[in-house]
Amino acid sequence: MRKYCFIILVCLVIVGGIQAQPAIKVSGEVTKPLQLQTADLAKMKRVTVSMRDRDGNEHPYTGVPVAEILDQAGVTTGKQLRGENLTKYLLVKCADGYEVLFSLAELDSSFTDRTVIIADSSEGKPLPAGKGPFRLVVPGEKKPARSSFQVTELVIRWAKE
Amino acid sequence: MILSAATGFLGFGIRAPGVEPLTPVYPSYFGNRIDIPADNPLTVQGVQLGRMLFYETALSAGDRVSCATCHRQELAFTDGKRFSAGVDGTLQPRNTMSLANLLWVRNFFWDGRARGLEQQAETPLTNPHEMGQTLAVSARKLQSKTIYPPLFRAAFGSDTVTGLRIVQALAQFERTLISAGSRYDRYLQGAYQPTGSEAGGIALFYGKGTCGHCHDGPKTYGELFHNNGLDSIPRDPGRETVTGQPYDRGRFRVVTLRNIELTAPYMHDGRFSTLTDTSFITNPKFSNPFKN
Repeated sequence: MRKYCFIILVCLVIVGGIQAQPAIKVSGEVTKPLQLQTADLAKMKRVTVSMRDRDGNEHPYTGVPVAEILDQAGVTTGKQLRGENLTKYLLVKCADGYEVLFSLAELDSSFTDRTVIIADSSEGKPLPAGKGPFRLVVPGEKKPARSSFQVTELVIRWAKE
Repeated sequence: MILSAATGFLGFGIRAPGVEPLTPVYPSYFGNRIDIPADNPLTVQGVQLGRMLFYETALSAGDRVSCATCHRQELAFTDGKRFSAGVDGTLQPRNTMSLANLLWVRNFFWDGRARGLEQQAETPLTNPHEMGQTLAVSARKLQSKTIYPPLFRAAFGSDTVTGLRIVQALAQFERTLISAGSRYDRYLQGAYQPTGSEAGGIALFYGKGTCGHCHDGPKTYGELFHNNGLDSIPRDPGRETVTGQPYDRGRFRVVTLRNIELTAPYMHDGRFSTLTDTSFITNPKFSNPFKN
């Protein structure tokens, strides 16, 4: 009996451990919904970008271009980003409820040279508590208000009027 | 037709014959990001029924309490207590929340665990330490009272009382509890000149005080969950219980500040008995989550 209790306890710890793994959920107008953990991001195309934080200084951030994540999820990017697909948007949701929005064209290399990334490290270190594990980094904006902390979800939707 | 039987509506957003739609009235500066599910649109009859149910003690074990016992209108739908007691005398783990301006809220309770008012309403009704009665028993009790079947027919097109219809009617009523008549509203509408100290408060609130970062806009709340630095080691894990993420430990809903002079005591655990106590935000340990 004690043995079974131990096995159940171990299972609970394992399940609890899996649930506690932070991840980014990608959903909405996608052909392949994703659930990306740190290990998944490590296997994807990685870039380093620089952005000016609220302290006024430029800081390097490393991670995966949002466009790359949208590609993997089967979002209409690149040549497909035309016609009515230009009315789609990305809603970025954060752990504390904070939300910011982009039109897909703002994130697409066929429209802009700016690379918006989901960063998981800066100068070789994981992002600090309160900002990480995943931060949206939007280079070149006057205010860092869209470079939001603790991203948990990327939701793609149609703008419907 | 299955949908019709379940909800009393002919389909999503289509009302039964004779049911009058109700448009909530609120200032345009509140914005229209309201949350009304397609299968429970606001109706005159639904709100009237919900209002009666809100004060109905038959919805509790032993007919002892109603929603209004802990959500008293004269206290902005709170009860002035640190923790409210349920039908069995057990105190609730968190402070009773105000019901003002819930029309814009998407995730309910201090930890945001209920998606939508219909889901929220079920918890206090059925929790053994709150109203302590299953929805099935509540439906049976209301069905046996002569007053209710006609009211359910008027609201949902059928005189069958169901648990779902009870929570739908309650949610409809709660969505109409809109608070938009303060001096601050008159100021926003250009019809009131704030006194010197009020103007100073506005400047501090939106300026140095950074209160407006979280209590943003005329509704004075956002769909946000923050750890405001009350405890270095939070006794209540708050939103972490919902998400399982350690970074959500000690995070709680950013609540509206409307009617705040009526809703003491303050914070999720009611630890502050007066508004001046909440000036904890001047404490250097207060963590502003927007600081980079």
